[in-house]
Amino acid sequence: MPAESAPILAVSSVSKRFGGLLALDTVSFQVQPKEIFSVIGPNGAGKTTLFSCLVGAVHPTSGSVRFRGQELSGLRNDQIVTRGLVRTHQIVKPFRDMTVADNVRVGVLYGRLRLRGAKAREQVDEVLGRTQLVHRADAKAGVLSIGELKRLEIARALATGPEVLCLDEVMGGLNPAEIQQAMALVRALRDTGLTILMIEHHVHAVAGLSDRLVVLNFGKKIAEGQPGEVLRDPAVVAAYLGDETKEEARA
Amino acid sequence: MGLLRRHPALVPGLLFSAALLVAPALAERGTLNDLWNMAFFVVLAAAWNLLGGFAGQVSLGYSAFVGIGAYTTVLLANAGWSPWLTLPVGAALAAAFSVVVGLPTFRLRGPYFTIATIGVGEAVRVIASGLEFTGGSSGVRMPPGTFDFNSNYYAMVGLALFTLGLVAWLQQHAFGLALEAIRQDIDGAEALGVNSTEVKLQAHAISSALVALAGGLFATNFQYISPGSVFDFRLSLTIVLMPIVGGMGTLTGPVLGAMLFSYLQIKLLASPALRDSYLFIYGGLLIVVMLFEPKGIMGLWERLWSKLPRRRTTAIAEARRAS
Repeated sequence: MPAESAPILAVSSVSKRFGGLLALDTVSFQVQPKEIFSVIGPNGAGKTTLFSCLVGAVHPTSGSVRFRGQELSGLRNDQIVTRGLVRTHQIVKPFRDMTVADNVRVGVLYGRLRLRGAKAREQVDEVLGRTQLVHRADAKAGVLSIGELKRLEIARALATGPEVLCLDEVMGGLNPAEIQQAMALVRALRDTGLTILMIEHHVHAVAGLSDRLVVLNFGKKIAEGQPGEVLRDPAVVAAYLGDETKEEARA
Repeated sequence: MGLLRRHPALVPGLLFSAALLVAPALAERGTLNDLWNMAFFVVLAAAWNLLGGFAGQVSLGYSAFVGIGAYTTVLLANAGWSPWLTLPVGAALAAAFSVVVGLPTFRLRGPYFTIATIGVGEAVRVIASGLEFTGGSSGVRMPPGTFDFNSNYYAMVGLALFTLGLVAWLQQHAFGLALEAIRQDIDGAEALGVNSTEVKLQAHAISSALVALAGGLFATNFQYISPGSVFDFRLSLTIVLMPIVGGMGTLTGPVLGAMLFSYLQIKLLASPALRDSYLFIYGGLLIVVMLFEPKGIMGLWERLWSKLPRRRTTAIAEARRAS
C-alpha cells in the first residue's frame, strides 16, 4: 500500500442495473493520488460499465463516486471531464472527418483547462508529441492505423487536462513492441503527476505497471491488493481459468 | 495565400458582393427584386446551416423565426415604431423563443429532433392564425410611409454579407470546432468536455436571430404578411433544401443553394404551368442530391477538383514507367 493520504477517487457501493442484469454489484475501492490502479476481470465482468459510471456516461443505479472529496453522482459526462476525470474508450471512436490535431484540439479547448490561442496550440503540440502523433497531425483520423488510433484515443483524453486518466484496454490489439511503448507512456504520464486507472487484459502489463488492482467477476469485486498477491489468489485464478479443483474432482 | 487556399471562393465572393452593392445604380427594379430575394435566401440558408449543417441538427421549423421577425416588425411599426428599431426586438424575441424550443427538443436526437421541429413550426403558424392582435389568418399590413426599396435592399445585402462573415469567423474558432464535433459524434464531444446542449442552444439562438432580422426586412419590403406567407411549412422546407443542395456544413454551399433556389423560384413562379409543381421539383432535386452527391454542389466540386491533379500525376507516372 502506498502512503495513506486522502484518496483522489473513492468508489463506494456502486451498483448498476441494466434491466434484469446487475452489471455492477456494490463495488467499492479507493485510489490514491499518482497511483497506477488496474481493474481486471474476465469478459463481461463490468469493468467498462464501471468506467462509464465514473465519468457519468451512464449513471450508477446506487452508490457514490467521490473525486477529490467531491460527489460526482448526478453530474453529466462533460461536467465530470471539466473537473479532471476522463476515460478512453475500448472501441475507439475518433471524429473521423477531422484531422488528428483537431481531434486533440476539441479536448484542449473544452476540457478542464479551456485553453485558447497560442496556449491552446502549444498544448495540442505537447499532447501530439507525447503520444507520438506529430507526423500525423494533419491526417484525417479516419485513415489512421489501429496503433495510431489507440494513441489518438489517449491523446484526446490527455488533451482535456485530466488529473485522473482512465484507460480502457489501450493495449488491446497492439504488437509486443507497441505494448512496450504504451507501458512506457503510462509510466511517463504517472511521473508527470497523473493518477491512472486502467482496464487491461495483458497480464504482463498489469503486473509490470500496477501499484494495486481490483478484480471484478460478474459485477462483484472478488479481490483487491498488490499484483503479486492478487494474481496468485485462487479465487482470481478460478475466475479467469475456471475452477480447476472442481474439474479435477469430476475427472 | 493561405487564406485564399482555405477559401477559394473568397475572390469571386468579394467581386460578387461588390457587384451587389453597386447594382442599385445600374440595374432595373425587376433585377434588383430578384437580387433582394437571393440575399434573403442567403441569410436563411447560411444561418440555418450553422445549426443544421455544422452541428447536424436538422430543424424543419425555421419559418417560425422568419415569422417572429416579420410579425414583430409589422406589429411594432403599427404601434408607431420606426421599422429599423423593430429589427433588434424581433431578433431578441426569436433568440429567446429558440431557447424555449431548444431546451426540450435538443434532448432528442437525429430524426426525432427534426420531427419535433415540424411540430413547433406548425404550432406557431396555427397560433398566429388564431390570435386577434396578429390579424388572424388574413394577416397584417405595414403602416403607410414605411416602404423604401433601396434602403431595404442594402440592409438585406448587408445582412447576408454579415451572416457569411459571422459564420466564417465562428468556423475558425472554438465554437465552430465544437459544432463539428457534435455533428460527427455527440457522445464523443461530451466525453471531451463539450456541453452539447449549451453549444446547440447558442447556435440555435444565433441562427434564429439572423433569420428573424431577415423576416423583419421581408415584412418591410412586402408591406403585408400573413401566417400563410411567413409561417409556411414550404418556407421551412426551402430553408433546409438550400444548404442541402448546395453543401451542408460549408461556407459556400448555402450561398450556391440560395442562388439556385431563388433562380428556380423566380422561373417557376413566373410560369403558370410550373407554379403549383415547384415542391415536386424541389423534392426531385433533393432525391437526386441524396442519391448521387450527399455533400451537394460543394461535394461535386471537390470531387471534380480532386480528379484533375490525380489524372495528371498518373499520366506522369505512366510516362516514367514507359521510358
